[in-house]
Amino acid sequence: MESRIICCHECDELCKIPYPLRIGRYKCPNCGHTLFRHYPGMVEKLYAIHIAALILFLVTNWYPFLTFEVLGNSSEANFTTAVRYLYEEHEYLLTVAVLMTTLVIPFSRIVLFLMLTGPLYHGRMPRYAPHLLKIMENITPWGMLDVFLVGALVSIVKLVKMGTIIPGISLWAFAVLILLLAYGQSIADPHPIWELIEKAQKEGRVKDYAKAVA
Amino acid sequence: MRAIDKNLGCCPICHQIVTFPPRQGKEGAAYCPRCGTEVHLRKRDSLQTTLALLIASVIFYIPANLLPMMHVQTFAGTESDTIMSGVIYFMETGSYLIGSVIFIASILVPVLKMMILFYLIHTVRHRKATHPKERQKLYLLTEVIGRWSMVDVYVVSIMIALVHFGGLTEIRAGGGAVFFLLVVIVTMLAAMSFDPRLIWDTAKERHA
Repeated sequence: MESRIICCHECDELCKIPYPLRIGRYKCPNCGHTLFRHYPGMVEKLYAIHIAALILFLVTNWYPFLTFEVLGNSSEANFTTAVRYLYEEHEYLLTVAVLMTTLVIPFSRIVLFLMLTGPLYHGRMPRYAPHLLKIMENITPWGMLDVFLVGALVSIVKLVKMGTIIPGISLWAFAVLILLLAYGQSIADPHPIWELIEKAQKEGRVKDYAKAVA
Repeated sequence: MRAIDKNLGCCPICHQIVTFPPRQGKEGAAYCPRCGTEVHLRKRDSLQTTLALLIASVIFYIPANLLPMMHVQTFAGTESDTIMSGVIYFMETGSYLIGSVIFIASILVPVLKMMILFYLIHTVRHRKATHPKERQKLYLLTEVIGRWSMVDVYVVSIMIALVHFGGLTEIRAGGGAVFFLLVVIVTMLAAMSFDPRLIWDTAKERHA
């Protein structure tokens, strides 16, 4: 039977993986950490999820997020209002952090997923696939939309005592978006895409780094 | 069998196996044939970098707790809230759920994370071979929980956005928020620069 050696990146164990792959999760025999997941149909699911996520992301940013009313005064906040006020108060570090973690990085991740899974779904190799995967790997820890949702819930509870809080369309879209992205994250695994890239490199369709280094 | 014993490295991005020593390139570095990333057998200067970032985060954590997170300006005057005073306020007014969410995310998680990383650095430094699996679980825990400390920064930013009635009633960010943000960023960087393979090295060397 054919097999392949994979290195566990948590404990440096060399693990033998028999081919063809079975469906499911492969674990390191030494430390039990997940090496990779093999679920056929991952690309199709991720493509669908991230098309929906893109629409929901635009809805989230377009419509009012929360409205706060106290003693006849009302103030409406969009998803991006916080960033604008922080900037006006010259809190540049906070501005950049909130902007990056809740807008730029989550949006880039959705776009990256679409750029990767779209062509794969239509049977073509995505352009710049190694670069896209590399960017994805580096920015993933800094996308914090789910944390932002908890932050929004905490501030709603905080403000309910002071006045009236009216949730906007955006808040509901945002909650659904979080669920979708969490599901996408739970099935996403770059491993099969890297294997495709390796195959394409051998056939000369994608830039071969082995030749570039040698 | 460890990859390092066979002179093999593991690409940090695509997990491809890379042969050492490389024919050319920088000292101790190889390049992944599949994605072109620079590969080292172990993350370079992992312990020193992690320790330095940890010490920085401990220093940032002091003003983060002492300075106010936000200033609430109302008709009655300006009120300033630190992290702890917010938690106490919620506990006293009976919002135990919100109080404990803030307490866990802003006080327990950062402290726990720093303590775990100090402990891991200590065990690797002194070449402890016991409980590698448990220590690895602790490391994975720091990676998972680290980002949740951002909750308080987001709460401040959403409050600023919502309570904005042109000068009369306003919320402004305090110095504590900036330092707290720095604590979150620096501890996340510290966890990233720590190499979990070091946890296993001593145990595996003794086995071999």
